[in-house]
Amino acid sequence: MDEKTLDRRQWLRQSGCGFGTIGLAALLHSEGLLSADQLGDRALQPLAPQPTHFPARAKRVIWIFINGGPSHVDTWDYKPALSKWNEKSIREFDPDFTNTTGFFKNAVGNLMQSPFKFKPRGECGKMVSEIFPNLGEHVDKMAFIHSGFSESNNHSPALFMMNCGMARMGFPCVGSWVTYGLGSESDSLPAFVVMSDPKGRGLPKGHAANWSAGFLPGVFQGTHLKPTGSPIDNLERSSELSADGQRRQLDLLQALNRVHLEDNSESALLARIESFELAYRMQSAAPEAIALDDEPEHIQRLYGIGRPECDHVARQCLMARRLVERGVRFVQIYSGGMENQRSWDGHQDIAGNHRQFAGETDQPVAALLADLQQRGMLDETLVIWCGEFGRLPIAQKGAKPGRDHNPHCFSAWLAGGGAKGGVSYGESDEIGYKAAVDRTHINDLHATILHLLGLDHEQLTYKYNGRRFRLTDVAGQVIQPIVTSAATSIG
Amino acid sequence: MKHINLIALFAVILLHGMRAGPSLAQTSADHIARMKASQALFKSQVKPILKAHCLNCHGGKSTKGDFDLSSRATMLDSGFVDLEDPKDSQILAVIRHETEPHMPMKSAKLSQKQIEEIGKWIALGAAYDAPFRQKLNGSVRQVTDTDREFWAFRSLDKVEVPQIEDPWVRTDIDRFLRVAQDEVDLAPNPEADRRTLIRRATFDLLGLPPKPEEVVAFVNDPDPQAYERLIDRLLESPHFGERWARHWMDVARFAESHGYEQDYDRPNAYHYRDFLIRAFNDDLPYDRFVSWQLAGDELDHDNALAMMATGFIGAGVFPTQLTEVEFESARYDELDDIVATTGVAFLGLSIGCARCHDHKYDPIPTGDYYRVAANFTKTIRSEIQLELDPAKNRENRAAHARELAMLEAKAKRFEAENLDAEFRQWLADFEPDKSDTIWQSATVVNVTSSAGSKYEYADDGAILALGKGPDKETITIRMRVEMSRVAALRLEALRHDSLPKGGPGRADNGNFALGELHLSHGDLSGEKFERLILKNARATHQQNSDALSVAASIDNDPISGWAVDLGGIGKDQAAVFDLAVPVENAKGHLFSLKMRFDHPNARHSLGRFRISFADTVGQTPIVGQGGMPRSVVKALAALKRDEVIDRGQRQQAIEWFVGHKSKLRALRQAVEKKRGDGPTIKKSLVQVSSEGLPHMKHHADGRGYPHFYPETYVLSRGDVHQKVEVATPGYLQVLMRGGRAADDWRVDSPDGWDRTGFSRASMANWLTDVEFGAGNLVARVVVNRLWQHHFGQGLVATPNDFGFSGERPTHPDLLDWMARDLVDHGWKLKRLHRLIMTSAAYRQSTVRRPDHDKRDSDNRLHARRVPRRLEGEAIRDAILSVSGQLDETMYGKGTLNSSMRRRSVYFFVKRSKLIPEMMLFDWPESLVSIGQRATTTTAPQALMFMNSSVVRAAAVGLADRLQDRSDNESIHAAYEWALGRPPTEPESRRAMQFLTTQMVAHGTSAQAQRLARADFFQVLFSLNEFIYVR
Repeated sequence: MDEKTLDRRQWLRQSGCGFGTIGLAALLHSEGLLSADQLGDRALQPLAPQPTHFPARAKRVIWIFINGGPSHVDTWDYKPALSKWNEKSIREFDPDFTNTTGFFKNAVGNLMQSPFKFKPRGECGKMVSEIFPNLGEHVDKMAFIHSGFSESNNHSPALFMMNCGMARMGFPCVGSWVTYGLGSESDSLPAFVVMSDPKGRGLPKGHAANWSAGFLPGVFQGTHLKPTGSPIDNLERSSELSADGQRRQLDLLQALNRVHLEDNSESALLARIESFELAYRMQSAAPEAIALDDEPEHIQRLYGIGRPECDHVARQCLMARRLVERGVRFVQIYSGGMENQRSWDGHQDIAGNHRQFAGETDQPVAALLADLQQRGMLDETLVIWCGEFGRLPIAQKGAKPGRDHNPHCFSAWLAGGGAKGGVSYGESDEIGYKAAVDRTHINDLHATILHLLGLDHEQLTYKYNGRRFRLTDVAGQVIQPIVTSAATSIG
Repeated sequence: MKHINLIALFAVILLHGMRAGPSLAQTSADHIARMKASQALFKSQVKPILKAHCLNCHGGKSTKGDFDLSSRATMLDSGFVDLEDPKDSQILAVIRHETEPHMPMKSAKLSQKQIEEIGKWIALGAAYDAPFRQKLNGSVRQVTDTDREFWAFRSLDKVEVPQIEDPWVRTDIDRFLRVAQDEVDLAPNPEADRRTLIRRATFDLLGLPPKPEEVVAFVNDPDPQAYERLIDRLLESPHFGERWARHWMDVARFAESHGYEQDYDRPNAYHYRDFLIRAFNDDLPYDRFVSWQLAGDELDHDNALAMMATGFIGAGVFPTQLTEVEFESARYDELDDIVATTGVAFLGLSIGCARCHDHKYDPIPTGDYYRVAANFTKTIRSEIQLELDPAKNRENRAAHARELAMLEAKAKRFEAENLDAEFRQWLADFEPDKSDTIWQSATVVNVTSSAGSKYEYADDGAILALGKGPDKETITIRMRVEMSRVAALRLEALRHDSLPKGGPGRADNGNFALGELHLSHGDLSGEKFERLILKNARATHQQNSDALSVAASIDNDPISGWAVDLGGIGKDQAAVFDLAVPVENAKGHLFSLKMRFDHPNARHSLGRFRISFADTVGQTPIVGQGGMPRSVVKALAALKRDEVIDRGQRQQAIEWFVGHKSKLRALRQAVEKKRGDGPTIKKSLVQVSSEGLPHMKHHADGRGYPHFYPETYVLSRGDVHQKVEVATPGYLQVLMRGGRAADDWRVDSPDGWDRTGFSRASMANWLTDVEFGAGNLVARVVVNRLWQHHFGQGLVATPNDFGFSGERPTHPDLLDWMARDLVDHGWKLKRLHRLIMTSAAYRQSTVRRPDHDKRDSDNRLHARRVPRRLEGEAIRDAILSVSGQLDETMYGKGTLNSSMRRRSVYFFVKRSKLIPEMMLFDWPESLVSIGQRATTTTAPQALMFMNSSVVRAAAVGLADRLQDRSDNESIHAAYEWALGRPPTEPESRRAMQFLTTQMVAHGTSAQAQRLARADFFQVLFSLNEFIYVR
């Protein structure tokens, strides 16, 4: 500890309980104390906003997680050659193909063209599947990646790979890293919010590990808004207490607490006093943030609220906009629940499956983009459309053909928040079997997300059990071609 | 900011393995930027070119011309690349075809663009992002004696205690601390008051608050050794183990589910937690504590505790949904979890970092990693039945033997003393002429079932099948009958309470279907049998007159046959068959009866039956005990007449009497029942880790997951597709001193033991060898863990990292002195607790003076105590305890129900459903070893105190506990219970005012007072003072 640090600590002590929490954490951060094994004094205000490594393009993220693995060749990666190859064995294309590439080794069919029609959309003329009539309107806002690949052909490891950068359990997810790196801009809402399928189709495979903080302190894990009942634990007062009664409790608590501070002025105790005030505010702020009744009818209609096929996602998207508007840093919405017909995992009837889930999300997500833009928020809000892997260009045999998992290739898009509009990066091979040109590792995608948020993925580290860990492990490169130049950034 | 960025960059570069850089210390910012650019270029452009065109002959399959591209170091060694003058690099000349040999050899020249890229890459510094190939056998990191001089690896020598005179000093620990404080002229605090001390010690050792009466007793104890006695008492509390087991559960990444996709439960994993509680309570020596967790199944396999301890190995995550391509890597990941956790937990070393490359900071070559992993090659999770309380079972066995002997004696005594008189008395009333003689029970020689059914024989000739019936079977009965003429066969199908619906069949509905019935007549030697023709089948009841009639049992169709549903279930039935040709022999007969039960409906076999014979045809089918055999009637009649008969006949008559009429029968039955019941032996299914036992079943079995591979290979870059060689079991070289080799720790298995390989037992031997092995470090690490939990911070601030990048000890001599003391006194942890807790350092107050902050702001010198927040478990347990709701039941299965009232250590740890109340307070996610929990302060924690039903219920519970007291008294008592002290006058006044206001607010409620008090007690639970222990 040098003299400067000592002085700072003394200053904190002397400034009593009136100190700004933001100042404290920012000060600590600027001294580089945050990469220690523990959070140090930041533990007292772990979610206080943190400075970026360089000017950010995006301040926040909304990630529409296309759960189950969307078929890229039936959505955004137009493969006209697949018609030519239709019904042929994939071994004619790639003699090395093995039946264990997907999940069901006994249902390997021939190559199969997309059941959907594609047509050019937007000024960029991007070829878009007919299942996205509304999202097609926004292709000029989107930066497409067509060369993603994963390290697992199995849902939960691939989900962990996409969320945490490792196909194994135990590592912090992107949302946790981002909130660790940036803190929160809200002092009355959780920093990182996750919404799962509200239609009773389950949680994504691997459950809460997908929004886990891993070895980061638990405060950085995602807050899962429960799809039914009270969305956040302990938000509602006991029926035995009135609002006034509880306020009196807090006043007494704080008064009694302060008596003991006089002889024991530890900053931890001060922080705890503040946490009760924050909690008191959260009780009203959180329900307000997710109450959609305040939204005008035309906005509700824009998102598709009231339309049975997409009402649930519409509510989640609108909620997401309200949350980020109020300072929430990272929102993840899972489209679909568990496997098979409960999510985009179209093992059977790929046409029916994808038509259904596209129908659930198309209008709400398109509305989210439009709404963010009309409010001038899109520039600072990064919207991501991505699942855990792609699907094979061959049919999975069955009464109605489906498609099996494809770890070798997937598509994703980023919009807003410094992502370039109307561009496509990377290519899959002729039939969409494997990523071919400018192959994009998930580490690269993560590096890019952090980059847009003003974080250097190589500097954002946390030391744990003798090693400095990163979201991108020992790899990752920012995909510069899909990032707007600094001149147009929001700084 | 700028210089911080640079430091971070250094770290990054180190991570990338570029330690070959010639002069890292003097590198400029520009150099780093260039290296980064070079590295990026390498990754995107150069690497693919080298791989496609050069690597095969230069560092791949072969290394031609001494030019080895496999790593940056070997490339620079070759001299073909000149960083001083990049443009002059020989490699550029040959690929530009300016100099012979033109490269690539015998292939097309590289494109101009490719050549330019390579030139640019060299000009920028020729950085690699990673070597192409890791050399594992050749140029591996050598572990030297210099490495062994690092403080953590040094041998554990005797340390002299500083000789100082100081009134503050109570124990030798204080002497070490006092010297260091003196160096900065810092005086420690005086002892805290007794109320503070008992609260501090009770929470530290038990994780619970002291009870008011304990506080009072301690405060008023005149004994100068009162504090020492307090520590002794607390160390003997069973709650001690519950508290300290939870600390170790963090380290052991303990959970009770597989994790990943489905996160299936491991329902018998909790025995490991119970082992920990018992081990801490029993003060199991720490060296054995370590050894049992790694090899209890080898070192003490008859000891249930040692078996339970092996749960440590298998406590990590495992992805039970696997596809074939993932099988092998999943097993290596599992081994990695075991090796990494073993390293961190016992040694404070991140061995796991050496999986893909030599450890970046510590002297752990990749080879060492795989040698350690090889000790676990065949170790898998299993579930086995164990006697958890062998003493109790021993007691039960002895008691059973005693009771059996008593019953046998009783029967024998009756036989010797009373039987004769009883028989004579009965014989007096016996009327030979009136005895029933139509049906004579056969004497059964044996009964066999094609499906292996087991039978019990009763004295009345009935045969009872035991357990659940097989789908199909054929029953063969061999029997003798003492009559000269046999003309008819009777088969009784009898009910019994043990059968489904009372039988007589074994099918779920109590039915049976006798497909075929064959009676064969043998010569008396039993060698030759001849089948007899049966006819005129009739029965007391048959299910129908067709395929389920009794006649169908002798129709040569194995399916159709006698069944008794539709009125006959749960009742005795009989079927009678006449012999087409009666058989005669004065010496009696031997028969074999074959009953075939092949009905497609499952388990349609007979459950209880009896066979008897008659000497005349045409008998009506009736159910009834078989009559007395004629030979018996004859013998009894003769005895009654006092005639002399031969011994055999007499014996037969008495036996019949004993079997049917004597009290001896009940006595003998009691003996048999006792023998059959056996002693009560309680066994429990326990998850263990071992070798050669059936694997624990899980979802991945569906696709044929092998659970282990017979060999562990050294992998290049941790990749299962790049196997280098078979790894032989071994240890970390840096912790092998005095010229010892791995074999020197070899523990041989006992004679005849081949189920496990004893490599783990040998490893445990190395780990606990203080002189030549890892025991020195093992002792340091555990001493530090204890210190940390008593002071909030270890002497080494990174409890799970004693390596190069971890913190150095603040008081290395003290650490070594305590470690030596631990080892020299039999690795007893309770002694160490006592040693630490009786020090003046532990007993001092939390008072904070300006010079504390000035000279030692982080309190590394321990010149004061720092208040510490309780963990989630202790907070919850304290709330339950104070409210009088704590259920103190120990051990056994846990629960996910967060409103349970047992201690929090009994929560079921399911990885996908971690208990929310615990997660709020930084509960570990149980995925990796955690040496020290974070202590965050967040709003959701406050929400829990304000709104959770558990806290509210406890507040109401406390109100109920104090309902008989006045407001003032209840406030006073609540302070004593919750905070271990009476309220101050202002506190008491404020509390009274609050109660009055709240009571008015709850005015309309009949329970206004109760609710107002609950409101106040909730405030008490929320106080900083409640969860921060001073």
